Amino acid sequence: MSLRVLNPNAEVLNKSEALRMNINAAKGLQDVLKTNLGPKGTIKMLVGGAGDIKLTKDGNTLLKEMQIQNPTAIMIARTAVAQDDISGDGTTSTVIFIGELMKQSDRYIDEGMHPRVLVDGFEIAKRATLQFLEKFKTPVVMGDEPDKEILKMVSRTTLRTKLYEALADQLTEIVVNAVLCIRKPEEPIDLFMVEIMHMRHKFDVDTRLVEGLVLDHGSRHPDMKRRAENCYILTCNVSLEYEKSEINAGFFYSNAEQREKMVAAERRSVDEKVKKIIELKNKVCEGTDNNFVVINQKGIDPPSLDMLAKAGIIALRRAKRRNMERLVLACGGEAVNSVDDLTPDVLGWAGLVYEHVLGEEKYTFVENVKNPHSCTILIKGPNDHTIAQIKDAVRDGLRAVKNTIEDEAVILGAGAFEIAARQYLVNEVMKTVQGRAQLGVEAFADALLVIPKTLAENAGLDTQDVIISLKGEHDRGNVVGLNQYTGEPIDPQMEGIFDNYSVKRQIINSGPVIASQLLLVDEVIRAGRNMRKPS
Amino acid sequence: MREVVTIQVGGFANFVGSHFWNFQDELLGLAGDLESDPTFKNHGLNMDVLYRCGETHEVEGGRGRLMPTDSFAHGRRLLILVSPCLQGVLTCTPRLVSVNYQGSLGSMSSSGTLYNQPPDVPPPVTTWKGALSTQRSQRRKRNLFLQSLYEDEQRQSTGVDNGHADAQDEIRDKDIVECLENEVQCWTDFSKVHYHPQSLYELSGLWMDAQEFNNYGSGKDVFSEGIRGEEMNDRIRFFVEECDHIQGIQVLVDDSGGFSSVAADLLQSIADDYANTPVLLYSVRDPGSYMRYKGRKMNISRDLHDAVSFARLSSFCKLIVPVGLPFLSGGKASTYLHVNDEKPYHCSAVYAAALHSLSLPFRMDLLGPTAISNRISGALDVNGIVQILPGPRQNMVAIVDSTMPAHSLTGNPAEQPLLSKLQSLTPEISEDAQDLQSVETLVVQGALASGEQRASVSEVQQAISAAYGEAMTRPRFCHLSVSTCPLPIPLPFPAIFSDAVGQRGEILGNPNPDAAPKTSLDVHSIPVAARLRSSSAILPFLSNRLENLRKFGIRRGALGGELLKTWGFGKEELEDMGETLSGMVRTLDPISDEDSDSD
Repeated sequence: MSLRVLNPNAEVLNKSEALRMNINAAKGLQDVLKTNLGPKGTIKMLVGGAGDIKLTKDGNTLLKEMQIQNPTAIMIARTAVAQDDISGDGTTSTVIFIGELMKQSDRYIDEGMHPRVLVDGFEIAKRATLQFLEKFKTPVVMGDEPDKEILKMVSRTTLRTKLYEALADQLTEIVVNAVLCIRKPEEPIDLFMVEIMHMRHKFDVDTRLVEGLVLDHGSRHPDMKRRAENCYILTCNVSLEYEKSEINAGFFYSNAEQREKMVAAERRSVDEKVKKIIELKNKVCEGTDNNFVVINQKGIDPPSLDMLAKAGIIALRRAKRRNMERLVLACGGEAVNSVDDLTPDVLGWAGLVYEHVLGEEKYTFVENVKNPHSCTILIKGPNDHTIAQIKDAVRDGLRAVKNTIEDEAVILGAGAFEIAARQYLVNEVMKTVQGRAQLGVEAFADALLVIPKTLAENAGLDTQDVIISLKGEHDRGNVVGLNQYTGEPIDPQMEGIFDNYSVKRQIINSGPVIASQLLLVDEVIRAGRNMRKPS
Repeated sequence: MREVVTIQVGGFANFVGSHFWNFQDELLGLAGDLESDPTFKNHGLNMDVLYRCGETHEVEGGRGRLMPTDSFAHGRRLLILVSPCLQGVLTCTPRLVSVNYQGSLGSMSSSGTLYNQPPDVPPPVTTWKGALSTQRSQRRKRNLFLQSLYEDEQRQSTGVDNGHADAQDEIRDKDIVECLENEVQCWTDFSKVHYHPQSLYELSGLWMDAQEFNNYGSGKDVFSEGIRGEEMNDRIRFFVEECDHIQGIQVLVDDSGGFSSVAADLLQSIADDYANTPVLLYSVRDPGSYMRYKGRKMNISRDLHDAVSFARLSSFCKLIVPVGLPFLSGGKASTYLHVNDEKPYHCSAVYAAALHSLSLPFRMDLLGPTAISNRISGALDVNGIVQILPGPRQNMVAIVDSTMPAHSLTGNPAEQPLLSKLQSLTPEISEDAQDLQSVETLVVQGALASGEQRASVSEVQQAISAAYGEAMTRPRFCHLSVSTCPLPIPLPFPAIFSDAVGQRGEILGNPNPDAAPKTSLDVHSIPVAARLRSSSAILPFLSNRLENLRKFGIRRGALGGELLKTWGFGKEELEDMGETLSGMVRTLDPISDEDSDSD
């Protein structure tokens, strides 16, 4: 081994040691995440060294909170997190599936089988499973009016794995309506158009959907109204503060008078801009009791605020960049980058604008808008970690709805797909495979069962009994999932348990790829760190 | 008022920042203390430039309210005033966003120490009816210093004033100083400042330890992954929105590792969002970061990292100031200091003192040209500095020099004049460069006239202009800011003063070279002078980076080509970077070697 010569301190694990390390790491990670899975899983509360609390039932969040050291575990974790980035869910399933593939392989390798053969089997099984997935999926027709019921069922399935039922059901309604609100025909859904805002206030059940926008800041002038009805909304990105522009910053004045003049001249140009806004306000509001609200992405300094306040205008500064887009979608009008040639066409409309103050935090609600294409989910909760957990769940719920609309298909949940796919692989695919690669297919098929098994385990059921009864029911020609309360087979269709097609496909795709890589490692070389140390 | 928002990114940047905010906290505390030196009470500096006022939401967990205080013990935390008509507590916290590894906050909660303190007993879970498993990390113990801060606050909040405990406190202060000398690990260990919950941002899910996070590539996707970038931007926006008229953003970056790419991405989005707000960037480096590299491969990686991170960072700011020598101890910069290079706690204190001085002009109220204050002179906002320093040559890389404690202006004739004592804190500069085109801004704070007597503003001005008059080479332009307020030494300041430093920072005669270093208990304040200098002396720093980039990165078949690819840089980007760097060299040295471009 040449490396030994080059670096005598480098640690080298030979093939079987390397394999052992990979398998153990995969199993270890599986053990940590396993209890998360499903509506009967365990929620985890993490209390940090300084007393910070994190609450999570989400594999993705949990992984990110862990200090993972083992290189294999990091590789699996990265895949799982990437899974979340791509499809919004399935982190826990990915980790569990990879872990189970490694576990199954372990059995065969112990019996002297070469990993290469297993990997070939995995490849065949993966392709077959993906084909089967296409047959198994339940197509959903997304016309102009998507079937709200199916969207609700999918998001409810996801949300019930993260939150207690009553809250999950409440949020289901919210996330489905939110996505339908921002959906435009013929365009991909941009979930960023759903703002997620939180308030540390009241209880989780006070979480609601605001048709319109909630901004996390308020006006900065004491004389501006805190509540206004029938408002024109001007969305703009225009600096309304006096700033030395770069060009004349090198200008040096020789006496006080000159300096005053220069300041006055620069101030005047800002005032001009403010006046143009006031002119527009007067034009549209004259003689009515309508109001006028300016929401600016750039700054507004106190003299400008003062002028606006005197003209009866409510002004907010430094709005989020994304809120410019959202405001226009919610209220109509368009975002302007200059106050020259302002016309009433650029204005949006909101029936109600009001401010809510919590300590030093201010929130501005822009509500009662016409035909909104952007909305806000306002999460409330008594403390930060509860809010964070609901936020994670809401994100997953939104993704589930989006995926369903884009996939135009769903997969029956509660383990139904895994049972069916396993039986398909064992009963039909294996016959067509020549030689020992069969065993790879079998390992893959058995690994799929980890999902229903874990669901059963988390529900406190006997996994063997459950699997036997599910297989039996399946072989009688029914599509069956697991009833987590009784352990009996159920029809997921009847119960309304659906998973995302794209999430499943992603898991089936990435799981075996990573497992194969980990199995085919010949040697692990690491200089500088002790790998055998338990992580 | 013109606000400054500060951003700190990375390990050492937060160490420097922690000392920096300790100074501010001490200044605020001394200003409110009836018994303190009048110089501190009435320093003419506007602290609201760096600090924001707020109010906590509600007082939770029955910890009680903090009571108004008018006694400010040396080195203790600034206490908070309560107005009984409000729901929450009025707070005063830095306008700061700090970015660091997860777990780098030690025993401090990421929501700071003022707002929503985590309860001792976790509240019941309301969002899940199923099983709950709790993973509790071992509670990080507060060190003696933090413990004493905590107890002080408890005492204040219960309203029991125990003046009789003073004698005990004296002993305890000694223990605290000793404990800090030996035990500091995190920057929070010696911080006495209350932070806003939006201030402390931890990067979670990196799955890398500090040794791996040591080059530009390792941090490349950190900002864009997930919603990290958005979260950081939101926090900055929180502080900027509050500002009526922001004068600039001051950024401290630990550019010795992956944090420089995190910072570069962050700065890029700042440049997009706040286009007209000038950014002043200090890239700070721990002496330890120079020692970590071994072997040729690592050296190439380090050289490339230095070049790439400098090129990237400098492209998103108006002025960049590299800070951080490979060796601080034994150098001329620490004649009266005993600095242990291995302790970031020590080195960061020296840099923080210089940064504190440099930030004074931002806080001086702009007076009319005819008004004269007897406390301060020479106000200059961030925009002013980034306009003046580059000068007509548009050189945006500045050198920082400092001297602490600064010599008295007159008095002992054996002492050299203050100007010649300024020593560079910027690495890789040429010592004897003579640049007639250079531009300088000098800040002198709390200078002593002779002995313990503080010099007035005009005395300092006269002395400095006389010194410039006598100097061999004079800069083309020099801006001078003077404050009579010296640097207050807070209790958690490290014990780095030599025996020759007196209680007010005066230089004493015949010191005992073997004496133990003096601590913050012996030295209460020191005069400091710091200078930013735009000069051709920075040329070696620039040309080293340019050469390394060309040698290891751009040249065909270069050794680091593959490495740079993994960092996400294509050929064109590298050439652009090379062009930027050589542009910087050319502005300072028009006849620089063009030949190395030939291949």
